[in-house]
Amino acid sequence: MEQIPVTVLTGYLGAGKTTLLNRILSETHGKRYAVIVNEFGEIGIDNDLVVGADEEIFEMNNGCICCTVRGDLIRVMGGLMKRARNFDGILIETTGLADPGPVAQTFFADPDVAVRAKLDSIVTVVDARHVPERLKDSQEAQEQIAFADAILLNKTDLVSKEELENVERMIRRINAFAKIVPTERCNVPLDKILGLGGFDLNRILTHEPDFLEPADHDHSEDCQDEQCDHSDHDHGHHRAHDHEHDPSIMSLSLIADRPIDGAKFENWIGELRATKGPDLLRYKGILDVAGRDAKLAIQGVHMMMEGSNLAAWKAGEKRQSRLVFIGRDLDAEALKKGFASTYGG
Amino acid sequence: MPSAIERQWNFDLPLTSLAVNRRGDWIAGALGDGSLRLLPANFAAEEPKEIRLHDGVSLSLQPDADDHAFLSGGDDGKAFIIDPALDAPTLIKEHKNQWIDHVAASPLGEFRAYSTGKNIYLLDDAGEEKFTAAVPSSPGGLAFSPNGKRLVASHYNGVSLWWTNAKESVPARLIWKGSHLGLIWHPEGKIVISAMQEPALHGWRLGDNNEMQMQGYAAKVRSMGFTAKTRYLATGGAEQVICWPFFGGGPWGKTPLMLGGGDGRLVTCVAPHPKDEMLAAGYEDGMVILAPLDGRMEILIHPPVAQNGAGVVGLVWNGDGDCLFAALENGYLMLFTLESVKQSVTHA
Repeated sequence: MEQIPVTVLTGYLGAGKTTLLNRILSETHGKRYAVIVNEFGEIGIDNDLVVGADEEIFEMNNGCICCTVRGDLIRVMGGLMKRARNFDGILIETTGLADPGPVAQTFFADPDVAVRAKLDSIVTVVDARHVPERLKDSQEAQEQIAFADAILLNKTDLVSKEELENVERMIRRINAFAKIVPTERCNVPLDKILGLGGFDLNRILTHEPDFLEPADHDHSEDCQDEQCDHSDHDHGHHRAHDHEHDPSIMSLSLIADRPIDGAKFENWIGELRATKGPDLLRYKGILDVAGRDAKLAIQGVHMMMEGSNLAAWKAGEKRQSRLVFIGRDLDAEALKKGFASTYGG
Repeated sequence: MPSAIERQWNFDLPLTSLAVNRRGDWIAGALGDGSLRLLPANFAAEEPKEIRLHDGVSLSLQPDADDHAFLSGGDDGKAFIIDPALDAPTLIKEHKNQWIDHVAASPLGEFRAYSTGKNIYLLDDAGEEKFTAAVPSSPGGLAFSPNGKRLVASHYNGVSLWWTNAKESVPARLIWKGSHLGLIWHPEGKIVISAMQEPALHGWRLGDNNEMQMQGYAAKVRSMGFTAKTRYLATGGAEQVICWPFFGGGPWGKTPLMLGGGDGRLVTCVAPHPKDEMLAAGYEDGMVILAPLDGRMEILIHPPVAQNGAGVVGLVWNGDGDCLFAALENGYLMLFTLESVKQSVTHA
């Protein structure tokens, strides 16, 4: 069954989500989107594919505190899927204060939604002028940036070049891997924010082989960038971007040039998800597993992780395992040690 | 084995649900373009009658309180009564920019109810609003008790119950953690059971507040029905039809009867026969079986369909119990008669 792609649109109050939605709904781009909005009145366009939904957070009864889903989305998606297909994708607008976690988890935790729809990406609209303040006082604003595959840095005309650079730096500290798209009035080609395949394990590998490389190497002073020693092949390598100051959410990337032991890795990541799940917002990786010709790709949100064997390593291709975490209060040392303990051989 | 189909129709649009009216002489199928197809529920089964209904789709299609009509609510915010004798449906309520997620009609007493968002509306026999009530989250199901005296809505962390003759809309609330979806009343009206977001059922016996929890399903339970003489609650959501005994002190402490399947395909629809101790079951791959409850072997009446998206989405008997209709997601409506089944068994 063909799964319909879903883009989640987040952003703090006043960042410009509604402007973007109105653009997507009114411009001619040959595609029809069903839009699930939290406040019906804000969308000025009369469109039978606009659906209002109130945030309803449900805990799944499987004993895991962080397995929360959005009951309203399960209901609305179920209804939309009854329609003879007359739209190409679904956009979900969250409230300015929404936690993107339960939205993302809905697409993994509810079997009916998972069969018929796939989460394509999370796009976060950020107000370049006000975001520095928001990041100081709002956990939600941090989380929305942390979860993003693409960040629409909006209202760039209202800030100076220095301010803009500062804002980009702040965003990068939280999420070193998202694509940042600067814009005024959300004036951005839609293909930069729709159909990104942020949760597509295959696409990560085939279209964006460098996805695990932080997009911006220009880090601030408090970044302790530990370069690995490429001459030492016996101990594997890792590199961590470790930020010790506010905000409490940050990105961390680990690299190993030695094959990892599949069973050991599974144990370690399983334990990590069980103990730190609520703090792990997003993580992805491509792994070189000892004894396997195929690349193993994984990705997760909180406790929920999926993995898949992808195309084989090519002859001459550098076999390397790369793993990135975006999370709250990440213990960089423990993660490095833990990852190193999964090396095979 | 070949199919025991007597007749079939292809509507070239996805079918989303199927219902039979209270009299048992008409069936209605809802399609993905918001239209309905009505068909007399008998052997002759003429060409279906097309009724244009919702601008989007029907989200809930039920037998109406008027025993020859149907009731439908849709994502265009409209609720209709559809009388097979008339050419056009009757619009009874409209809520602009909202969805009518659930509709229900009382078996006795001519009440109707529907929900939009978190709000539930109870209508009297004249179509006047008796009361509206809000529940903690958008309801997953809505159902009248068999005598029409009570209305139940399922939601997050439990169900709410109203007396339909009450002037106030304050409900009694029965609590059980988790999200509650589909609802069914025991035909004697003393027990209400909900199917949950988790693959499990939870039930409450009213009066003494005894509760029951039925688990072990592979998927959400979307189809439930009490068998003739109210002996078993037959349910989908597993590889076999799970039938919980409601006699001899059950379902507490009893193991369920399990019928049919077991080949890795899930039961999507169950339809207990209206008179005999037998049921029909439809699977996610289009397979349909008849299963007696007395231990005799099941009869395969329609083999699995190879292509994707051909799961059984609706399965209903007519009132006489001699015609079974099965709706497939890919737009096929099939009619089986006891006679066509007999012939197919003889020739196999």
